[in-house]
Amino acid sequence: MFNIRTRRAALAAAAVTASAALVLTGCSGGSEPAATYDPDEEVTLNLAFWGNDVRADLYDQAIAAFNEEYPNITVNSSFLGFPEFWEKRQTEAAGGGLPDVMQFDYSYLRQYSENGLLLDLEPYLGNIIDTEPLSENILSIGVVNGETTGIPTSTNAWGMFTNPVLLEQAGVEDFAGGSWADYNDWMAEVTEASGGAVYGGTDWTGRIQNFEIQQRAAGEDLFTDEGEPNFTEEDLAAFWEQGDSIREDGTVISQQELEEIYPVSGFDAAKTASELTWDNFGAGYLGNLGEGYTELGLVAPPVTEEGAKDLYLKPSMLHSIAASTDHPEAAATLVNFLVNSPEAGEIFGTNRGLPASETMLEGAELDPLGEQIRAYEESISDRLGDAPPVPIVGYGQLEEKFRLLGTELGFGTLTVDEAVSQFFAEMDVVLNQ
Amino acid sequence: MSTTLTRAIVTADKEGRPRLLGRRGPDTPTRHGLKVRNRRETATGYTFLLPWMIGFLGLTLGPMVYSLYLAFTKYNLFTEPKWIGLDNFVRMFTEDPQYIQSVQITLVYVLIGTPIKLAAALAVAMLLNYRDRGSTFFRSSFYAPSLIGASVSVAIVWRAMFSTDGPVDNTLSFFGLDIGGWVGNVALVLPMMILLAVWQFGAPMVIFLAGLKQVPRELYEAAEVDGAGPIRKFRSVTFPMLSSVIFFNLLLELINAFQVFASAYIISNGSGGPAGMTNFYTVYLYKRGFADLQMGYAAAMAWVLVIVVAIIAAILFKTQKSWVHYAGDNR
Repeated sequence: MFNIRTRRAALAAAAVTASAALVLTGCSGGSEPAATYDPDEEVTLNLAFWGNDVRADLYDQAIAAFNEEYPNITVNSSFLGFPEFWEKRQTEAAGGGLPDVMQFDYSYLRQYSENGLLLDLEPYLGNIIDTEPLSENILSIGVVNGETTGIPTSTNAWGMFTNPVLLEQAGVEDFAGGSWADYNDWMAEVTEASGGAVYGGTDWTGRIQNFEIQQRAAGEDLFTDEGEPNFTEEDLAAFWEQGDSIREDGTVISQQELEEIYPVSGFDAAKTASELTWDNFGAGYLGNLGEGYTELGLVAPPVTEEGAKDLYLKPSMLHSIAASTDHPEAAATLVNFLVNSPEAGEIFGTNRGLPASETMLEGAELDPLGEQIRAYEESISDRLGDAPPVPIVGYGQLEEKFRLLGTELGFGTLTVDEAVSQFFAEMDVVLNQ
Repeated sequence: MSTTLTRAIVTADKEGRPRLLGRRGPDTPTRHGLKVRNRRETATGYTFLLPWMIGFLGLTLGPMVYSLYLAFTKYNLFTEPKWIGLDNFVRMFTEDPQYIQSVQITLVYVLIGTPIKLAAALAVAMLLNYRDRGSTFFRSSFYAPSLIGASVSVAIVWRAMFSTDGPVDNTLSFFGLDIGGWVGNVALVLPMMILLAVWQFGAPMVIFLAGLKQVPRELYEAAEVDGAGPIRKFRSVTFPMLSSVIFFNLLLELINAFQVFASAYIISNGSGGPAGMTNFYTVYLYKRGFADLQMGYAAAMAWVLVIVVAIIAAILFKTQKSWVHYAGDNR
């Protein structure tokens, strides 16, 4: 106890000296907080995240490690599943009681930031929150309208998982890369070789991300910096029509089978041999596939245009602080610990995605899957372009609409043209809300 | 209280029905005392009512009035509601195919499911009414599904039963009907939802049973003497004598059916799928409100539902004159 106290005092003294030095050298960047902030003050912070028991246990360990260094900051954590987490935040946001520190999702960042619900972290960057281990690219992900309201914990990229067990049974080689048409052919080969017991994949035109990377290959993000849609009805119709043949000839798993196993995917249920998704989904797949699976294939998505920068790194999650917090400095201290510390890296590993911060990555002992994801993200570096602007308000809603329309195309209850007009009608509502 | 009553002037009208007349003249001094006492009693009454009144005004009426206001606004929880007049309603009926689909499947569910459910309830109630030995056991066991019906577990069991290679699929395959799972089948998922509702016929059944016990045995005996068979007895005795109970059950079940939510939400995992076939009115309302944060639109949807249910109830009340028979009513 005595040791810790002296250590805290020493740290505080060091912090004061350091900030004084910064002020004197004119490098403070307007860092006010150090002046009035008492780092030994007893405070209590609320921390909220989405996840499951496994992740909750990791957070408990991380908080214990945090408290070894900062015994004066009590952290009360709570967690929910992803949809419930956001339903709860929405009502809290309306009522003004957001938790001090939150695990945050990219698709909600703009909405919360533009409504002034998140703290601008600018004053704490470079002092309480160490920016050295975070690249400029990573930091810029959490910037909305010039304010930094989130720090990414980790990154992920769009990729394609393949199931080695099913492929071996079917006697088909892993997808060797190629165009979308090549991918369709490869899927048909798997479906045929397995005699229809499993499928080569899922109708990939049901995912907005595949549309996005095709558009990006042509040099267009889905939305402009101003939040205006950057694609036409013809673009979308052309995209969905690419799925017509595979939906009709039974190359991909039928929508009816998917519906019965939802919310897990065909890939989770070992009914499909490949799936295009975010590369941090691997651990979840391995968990759901269960016995007999120790590894998965992870390859780059089909190529739309040779040499195009169609892929990008996205934060798998961020940490944000509520604007209403009473203890911004303590909250920033906690965020720094969760985002940068080697201890957090050691505890979380790749549970929250591949660590974005160098110091956290150093602490993380990557399991084989983590290593595979790291190697994958290196391997696609030629295709990685700038991240698109922070998603528009309501992007999550559009993504869900896109998915639902995809299922209707799968059932054949809508034509491509009807689906396109429904999507644009929904987008109209979202953009005007 | 008793003094008030004894002092009130009670007379009888021409038909002999008792009538309570207004108290006469403020002239006597006792009248004044009575007024004060009345006022005090009124105050006491309202004081006792207060907890309920506060609950009603604050938790029911207040939010309802506010939601009526929200129905004419655009409101996303974050920013102040913005008045947009009738736009929400216009969008609902002209620009939202998902809304129209949701109305259609809800109507099918209500208009087909409710009569079948009531028929099943009445049939079982009549069977149980004739049984003497062990009838309590049967009554309880037929009622049981309704007790657990709205729970999460039953919906999950239902989902499992009707999946591909589930018990229902296997049984049907055994009989040569190979139609696969119902859960993911666009054409079969709605019949499956109706079956789930019909299966929970316990509550109306118990009410029917109570109604059947009230039918005088003499009427059946008289009918038998006149040579009436079972069908004739049902048409001429059971149905008219039971019509008020049927009316009550019909009203209640229609209103309940319009609000179907939990089972659909669970069976579709909140998606309303396949292809929107379980996207019932309240499920869609919930998704618009809490997933899409279009609270104004959701409020408008809620009010359309209230009005439609009110109209249907009003129509039912209008028609009851022609088919509902109340005991002791000689018209």
